[in-house]
Amino acid sequence: MKKLTSGILLVVMSSSFIVANAQQTKPSDTLKTQEIEGVVVTALGIKREKKSLGYSSQTLDAEKVNSVPTNNFINNLSGKVAGMEIKNNGNFGGSSNIVLRGTKSITGDNQALIVLDGVPIISGNLNSSDASRGRDGFDFGNATADIDPNNIESINVLKGAAATALYGSMAANGAVIITTKKGKKSKSLGLTLNSTVSVGEIDRSTFPKYQKQYGAGYSGEDSFFNEDVNGDGTVDILAPTGDDASYGAAFNPNLMVYQWNSFVPGNPNFGKATPWVAAKNDPSKFFQKSLSFVNSFNLNGGDESNTYNLTFTNNYETGILPNSRLNKNMLSGNYSRKFNDKFTARTFLTFNDQTTVGRNSVGYGDNIMTGFRQWWPINVDILELRDEFFRTNQNYTWNMNAPLDGDLSAAFWNNPYWDRYKNYSSDDKTRLIAGAELSYDVTDKFNILGRATIDYTNSKQEIRKAVGSHAEEFGLAQADETSGYWVFDDNLVRQTYDIIGRYNLNISDKFNAIFVGGGQFFDQHQRSMENSTTGGLIIPDLYTIGNSRAYFPPIEGNIRGQKAGIYAQASFDFDKFLFLEGTIRNDTSSALPKANNNYTYYSLGSSFVFSELLKSSWLNFGKVRLSYAEVGNDMPFGRSGFFSNRGTVNGTPMADISTTYVDFNNLKPERQKSWEVGLETSMFKRRVTLDLSLYKTNTSDLLFSVPQSPSTAYSFSLINAGETENKGIEVSLGIVPLKSTDFQWDINLNWARNRNIVKSLNQGRENLQLASFQETSLNATIGQPYGTFRGTGFVYDSNGNKVVDDDGYYLVASDKVLGNIQPDWIGGVYNTFRYKNISLGFLIDVRQGGSVYSLDQSYGGLTGIYEYSAGLNDLGNPIRNTLENGGGVILTGVKQDGTPNDIRIDASYAGGAFGTDAGVPQEAFVYDASYVKLREAKLSYSLPSDLLRNTFIKGMTLSLLGQNLWIIHKNLPDADPEAGTSSGNIQGFQSGVMPTTRIYSFNVKLDF
Amino acid sequence: MRKIFSILTIGSLTILTGCVNGDEDFNNNQSQPYEVPSELLFTNAQKELMDQMETPSVNLNVFRFFQHYLATTIYRNDARFNFTGTRKVPDNMWLALYTDVLGNLNETKKVIAGEVKPTATSQAAWEKQQANKLAIVNLLEIYTYQVLVDSFGNVPYTEAAKPESIVLPKYDDAKTIYENLISRLNTIVATLDSGYSSFETGDNIYNGDVGEWIIFANSLKLKIGINLADVNPTLAKQTVESAYASGVMLTNAENSLFKYDATSPNFNRLYAEVIASNRNDFVAEEGIVDVMNDLNDPRRPFYFTEVSGGGYVGGTVGLTNTYSANSHIGDALLPASKPGLLFDAAEVNFYLAEAAARGYTVGSSAQQYYQNAIERSMQQWGVSSAAIATYLANPNVVYSAANWKQKIGQQAWIAMYNRGFESWNFYRRLDYPVLTAPNAIPAADGKVPTRLTYPINEQTVNGANWSTASSAIGGDKLSTKVFWDVN
Repeated sequence: MKKLTSGILLVVMSSSFIVANAQQTKPSDTLKTQEIEGVVVTALGIKREKKSLGYSSQTLDAEKVNSVPTNNFINNLSGKVAGMEIKNNGNFGGSSNIVLRGTKSITGDNQALIVLDGVPIISGNLNSSDASRGRDGFDFGNATADIDPNNIESINVLKGAAATALYGSMAANGAVIITTKKGKKSKSLGLTLNSTVSVGEIDRSTFPKYQKQYGAGYSGEDSFFNEDVNGDGTVDILAPTGDDASYGAAFNPNLMVYQWNSFVPGNPNFGKATPWVAAKNDPSKFFQKSLSFVNSFNLNGGDESNTYNLTFTNNYETGILPNSRLNKNMLSGNYSRKFNDKFTARTFLTFNDQTTVGRNSVGYGDNIMTGFRQWWPINVDILELRDEFFRTNQNYTWNMNAPLDGDLSAAFWNNPYWDRYKNYSSDDKTRLIAGAELSYDVTDKFNILGRATIDYTNSKQEIRKAVGSHAEEFGLAQADETSGYWVFDDNLVRQTYDIIGRYNLNISDKFNAIFVGGGQFFDQHQRSMENSTTGGLIIPDLYTIGNSRAYFPPIEGNIRGQKAGIYAQASFDFDKFLFLEGTIRNDTSSALPKANNNYTYYSLGSSFVFSELLKSSWLNFGKVRLSYAEVGNDMPFGRSGFFSNRGTVNGTPMADISTTYVDFNNLKPERQKSWEVGLETSMFKRRVTLDLSLYKTNTSDLLFSVPQSPSTAYSFSLINAGETENKGIEVSLGIVPLKSTDFQWDINLNWARNRNIVKSLNQGRENLQLASFQETSLNATIGQPYGTFRGTGFVYDSNGNKVVDDDGYYLVASDKVLGNIQPDWIGGVYNTFRYKNISLGFLIDVRQGGSVYSLDQSYGGLTGIYEYSAGLNDLGNPIRNTLENGGGVILTGVKQDGTPNDIRIDASYAGGAFGTDAGVPQEAFVYDASYVKLREAKLSYSLPSDLLRNTFIKGMTLSLLGQNLWIIHKNLPDADPEAGTSSGNIQGFQSGVMPTTRIYSFNVKLDF
Repeated sequence: MRKIFSILTIGSLTILTGCVNGDEDFNNNQSQPYEVPSELLFTNAQKELMDQMETPSVNLNVFRFFQHYLATTIYRNDARFNFTGTRKVPDNMWLALYTDVLGNLNETKKVIAGEVKPTATSQAAWEKQQANKLAIVNLLEIYTYQVLVDSFGNVPYTEAAKPESIVLPKYDDAKTIYENLISRLNTIVATLDSGYSSFETGDNIYNGDVGEWIIFANSLKLKIGINLADVNPTLAKQTVESAYASGVMLTNAENSLFKYDATSPNFNRLYAEVIASNRNDFVAEEGIVDVMNDLNDPRRPFYFTEVSGGGYVGGTVGLTNTYSANSHIGDALLPASKPGLLFDAAEVNFYLAEAAARGYTVGSSAQQYYQNAIERSMQQWGVSSAAIATYLANPNVVYSAANWKQKIGQQAWIAMYNRGFESWNFYRRLDYPVLTAPNAIPAADGKVPTRLTYPINEQTVNGANWSTASSAIGGDKLSTKVFWDVN
């Protein structure tokens, strides 16, 4: 295989090569065409005319990219690119999911490749697999947050494999090509200052609305303890502080009850009973206003031989959770020098240093949000908990084990302020991407470019648990610990070397050919150490591994990888209206076994600009394009399936087999085959532009750790598992309904629909379980879309009514398909109005369909937190009264004989009628994840130049911005359907998710 | 010039593609082992087995709720036998036994097969030693499969633990598995040779003492054989008698103890779940407390704590119970380094008592073994001989051949307080004591479960085989009986 490709290269390269020159003299109408379509940056940084491209791409300029200040610029792309699904989980400094054209591979890497000035950079998330799978941990963000949006000139999103064939397997899921600002010769100083201040608050519709009728307990009216608390001989009422639920006694202001605060020494209510009422401040008051400052300086300039661009940005923000902050400094720049007509050199750098404190926990365990959404007693005042923490600096919690016996320790939940101020996470990250390139025009038709880049990341993540905390699973041994320290150090270096040659044949006006050939090599080395204390801290407040009571071995990593690729591309251009292109690439990767580590693939594309032949007045531009591409794909570096060190027992060392069975030498690369057809037109004096794509992508030999029956001795097998198919449509429509000298109204609309089906699975399997949650599992089943929820469901009669049994409880069907995380379609509409110097734009982001499972609603139903579990029933009595007292509910549905249900069930205790513990099928907690959101709005005023004429200032713009302003529509109660635990393939499950923050910003931009 | 350029370009391109390192282990994580010695895997398997059999964690082991030993304070699900909701006990137990125990035992055998004889050892001695090791590993495998069969019924056996070729293992017929286990045990007893060594390190139960393992093997044969008493009396009698004849565990000195640490994280599981976690999840259950109170049983101070005001009070399984109002797990069970008990003499003596009552020839009378069993149990806790004698004289304790099932059933139940699985086996076989399930979920049909339902996960990842097995056993329900539980 290699020999063949070398042979082709030999043929291609042995002729004289000349540099490709995109600027050529043309007749006037094609010049117009060029203006319409423009030049875009494609793979490898090669500039091409968009009309010559046989595949779909969409460009966003700096305005759109940096429209609102955000920690992770990728979030600004949501809704602006057809078919690009950006999912920001709402976690402070958290990661974002970037998926183009649906989930193709079931392994962890469906994310689009991020390319910075021609260099693919490491962009994944750094989260533990537990966090990525919905259990505990923290979301430590992903590496696109390291790129400064203030330094971006434009982004071109290449959506399919044809577009990215030159990048090889890394870009099988599409690529986001980022072009940074380059120096330009100009008369002005070239200094830009950009400063933004933002304030945020929670969107109340994404946080629980608590019922205000019942307080702490699990057993309804029997929840109180009747004990003589104050020793006066009479029996008092004591609230069950150990009960983390609100299914207790009904509130009654005349009832005096000893509560948690009665037992805290120094509390104003110490020793006193207080009225049994709903607290004045529920957990929504826990959140504070977030604050953010982004200040950026950009210096840009040059002359005939030198150009430079330098940006420095500082981003400081505090979050909505107490004790959360991040500080990020970014320095990026490039400098290029033209030595003579033939030689140009460029050097570039991106440096980023970020410190973050107090990220929110994600997932079920040890997560304050889980407490607020699932296990909260409504008589407890959150601000009183705050005051007690700050007064005492101790973990006085509402959830005391046995206060009457003097045991004030936490049964399950710490004081949430203790958790925020004492048990917080922190992390430091430094990233450096630097490189140099040299371009040599051998002749005016042949150019050679050589480039070397280094991408270096150093990060450290820490989690603390202070002495005095409640015991939870913690650390490497995952034993219950009451204190501890966990640290993860990671060092990752990647060196990339490129050599690219381009030859522009330039035969005649009517026919041109451009040949590109090149090679890429990269070497990657990752060293990591994950360590934690075991058995608790010896000295409180000293967070070091040395301060551990017992020992458990650290998890050390040392993984290397290398990839080499050679490729060639031939592009033919017939009279500027018919374009043909072919690419071929061969990759070798050390991630695959030697027998299968080399794979070759190709692509073919064509585009036909029919408007050149039609020449009509209303059709400015029209093109159809067709392409076919194949890509091979390897796995992440680092062979899995090793044994793990399990420490010692009785002085004897132990080792454990892996949870995944790996028959490494039988693995082969994945292969993706995709077809794409598209239409691009521009009509009515460019007042209407349309880009339409249809595609079909089949990925076979998917590399995946497939869950299997543990009776095989392993929970997973890493194999080439099967095949998925993605089919879809993408539409990008631009309309200018109104246009005059002073006023213009633009509408940009993006819409996409992707259908993903699991076509086949190997080894006779029918179902792949992708994740198993506390309730339900996420699956990929043959014939079903990827990401199906399975669990218990309702039993329906032939008319679609839910059936109840003879006791009035729903009949439960096991192992049913309950929903799917894939949306029916996603889209966005961006409206911009421009009047003279003022512009107003707003983005509405829409998702239709797809499901989300809410563990919050399920457990919150059991514990009686939400309003639907309180209130009155059909008889006008409180639902939670006992049946003798006219309480209870009649579930909607029919009895087994088909008649409407009239059997009342007892809802007077936790788990009686609500939540899965009451026998409610999990299907009840699968919600439609559709939403319509006002994602972004911006009002800008650019000061007119005559105002600034006599000042130093060349330009000044003031803007008011808003983000997440309004969830216009959603079906999921009490939470944002987009909220989740992490980026990655495991989505659609919610437990203890953060509320959404609504952000208001003010921005000033000055050009000197 | 151009030629030079072409050559240079082609040259660098060729170099580039040849640059990817071709070493076999280049792609390995250089800080992790892809091979380990057999001893490390063996100790890990032992620990995982011991953890699973003794832990009170409601995620893993719920037999103490079946047997009315413990009740819960707040979370009632598991005590009501709801295993398909949030805590999927069958799933967790299946996972622990198949992957953590059997997976590691299987790998241990593979590594042993590849071990190289040290130069100082003779070939004959080496072969004997390796045979001893394999036999011991197989013993724990058999032990584990019995637990699986007794808990679920038909389970994967012949097709299990073959990930290289079988990913959808079929479930074997339970009766056939039992017969195979017995035949394997016969081979093992014949193979084990106490004249030679076995594991020099890594055996955290018997330290490589082959003589002790022979006793373990015979005792295990007895334990499996006695279960067949009602369904295949011939095989049962033959198995039990031959096991006894070879020598079983009769005194506490021969108990199978797994040594835990005094420090985190590998301390005793009761310590971990009750003390280290600082949770008040459990209270004693009135079933056992009331019976032991009636008999003035001297083991009570070890089994339970007293309530304030003195005496022992139990809660009700399946309901919420107030922690402070009831007795809790006794301090004697809670030291961090308390060894785990995988097999004990009291248990074996009760099997022999039952065997004798059924007319098998086991060297002594049912009454003698019955008394020995109670003695062994009391001696484990350090009860004085005087107190033991008083207890044995109690007319409600005295053995009665007419009521042998009730007598053995009740005393075995009391003795097996911290050994829920073994207790459950006695209960299912003898049908005494009479245990109720007043707060069980509807799916349990109002009874103490006679098996665990298959893991929910199996329906998703091994659906066809699960379905076949469910039909074969008469329905995947808590109330379906395992093949030897015929009445």
